[in-house]
Amino acid sequence: MVKKRTPTPSHTVGPFFPARFFGEGDYDLTFVDDPAKRAQGQKIYIGGNIYEAERVPRWNCMVEIWQPDAGGCFNHPNDPRHSHADPNFMGWGRRSSDDAGWYDFVTVKPGGYTDPLTGFRRAPHIDVAIMSSGLMRRLVTTLFFPDEPANAEDPVFNAIPEADVRERLILKPAKLEGAPADATAYRLDIVLQGDGETPFFVD
Amino acid sequence: MTTPNFFEAYDEPSQPVIRIAQYRESLLRSPSRPPYKRPVTLTEITGPLNLARKLKTGMNDLSRVNNGARAMGQLIWVTGRLLDEDGMPVRGSVIELWQANAAGRYAHKADSQNPAPHDPNFLGSGRCLTDQEGRYAFLSIKPGAYPVPNHAARWWRPPHIHFSIFGEGFMSRLITQMYFPGEPLNAADLLLNAVPDEKGRERLVAKWIPMMQLERADAVGFEHDLVVRGHRATPMGF
Repeated sequence: MVKKRTPTPSHTVGPFFPARFFGEGDYDLTFVDDPAKRAQGQKIYIGGNIYEAERVPRWNCMVEIWQPDAGGCFNHPNDPRHSHADPNFMGWGRRSSDDAGWYDFVTVKPGGYTDPLTGFRRAPHIDVAIMSSGLMRRLVTTLFFPDEPANAEDPVFNAIPEADVRERLILKPAKLEGAPADATAYRLDIVLQGDGETPFFVD
Repeated sequence: MTTPNFFEAYDEPSQPVIRIAQYRESLLRSPSRPPYKRPVTLTEITGPLNLARKLKTGMNDLSRVNNGARAMGQLIWVTGRLLDEDGMPVRGSVIELWQANAAGRYAHKADSQNPAPHDPNFLGSGRCLTDQEGRYAFLSIKPGAYPVPNHAARWWRPPHIHFSIFGEGFMSRLITQMYFPGEPLNAADLLLNAVPDEKGRERLVAKWIPMMQLERADAVGFEHDLVVRGHRATPMGF
């Protein structure tokens, strides 16, 4: 099929993305617009530090995540199972890394699914996009869960041939201060550049 | 089905280079290793279509705050369509924009050292939804140019407006900037000129709307279409 238009070039988000664009509930994916109606599944909390070169914490990063619901469904017409999607699960969240470079989200543990296009079996995962001053294009990566046998088959996890590098995408169980009492907490630091650099994917 | 279901990696020359020698932040924050190729699956071709339930929209008028006094500067009307790679309108999609005030200063704590004056009547940010034609429109103030602080090359950012666009999938998410036509600073801007392809740079510059074609007489009009990734493949059978 011939494409008629070329996508607009990407640019950096710069340092001035308005603080008022970050709503209080935007980092909590367990509800859409009514906090009384909560998503189904195991509540989890994920957090970590973002570092630029030389392990300098990077504040003012815009971090966004996107993931399937607890049943592995998306509330989107491209998902053949979308009619089964949890109506109270947002799937999307956004956070600004704070002065110490910390980002965090409250969500539910995503379900795995069989990809309708490729037939690949996807392990539970969370897509992450990082936007910051200095990044002319966003950085994208995917987070995975520890002790998941499905990781061994996941085509994105295994797109990274080096075992020690792909290990950096596995969330680590942790005790975290900001975690809600009823949530399982995981930590994952994101290193934009340098030792222990986080692997990113072609966007 | 009208939702794009086919998404591919960007065509390189149409997108900016990642490391810009005189833009220090790009050197400190860009990964040192090339990104890994991965297959595109359902997670990348879906995205939040219900964002308007989470994010407040209808913030199209940046020219004043809460019906207060008019912001300083020249009124502009910025409009355009959000399209996918088939040229089809992307409807009901969130568009966010932000910009400096007429003096070249942002209402943001990261700009607190800027000696240019703050304008209490200008927040400089808005959010709206595209209509049935994929169209958005904002009333604002022409942003001022500003010097990048402590930059050895005396880099001035030309007047520009930042856009944050969602589209219909994780891969259609786009952060970009719009420039104004005929600005001399455009030719020297490190970010605009990080796009290697001339046609790509042209896609970042808005078009002036002649007065008689503009639906209002109180502002200078600019047309700026935005194109996000996504096109329709052969029918999928669902």
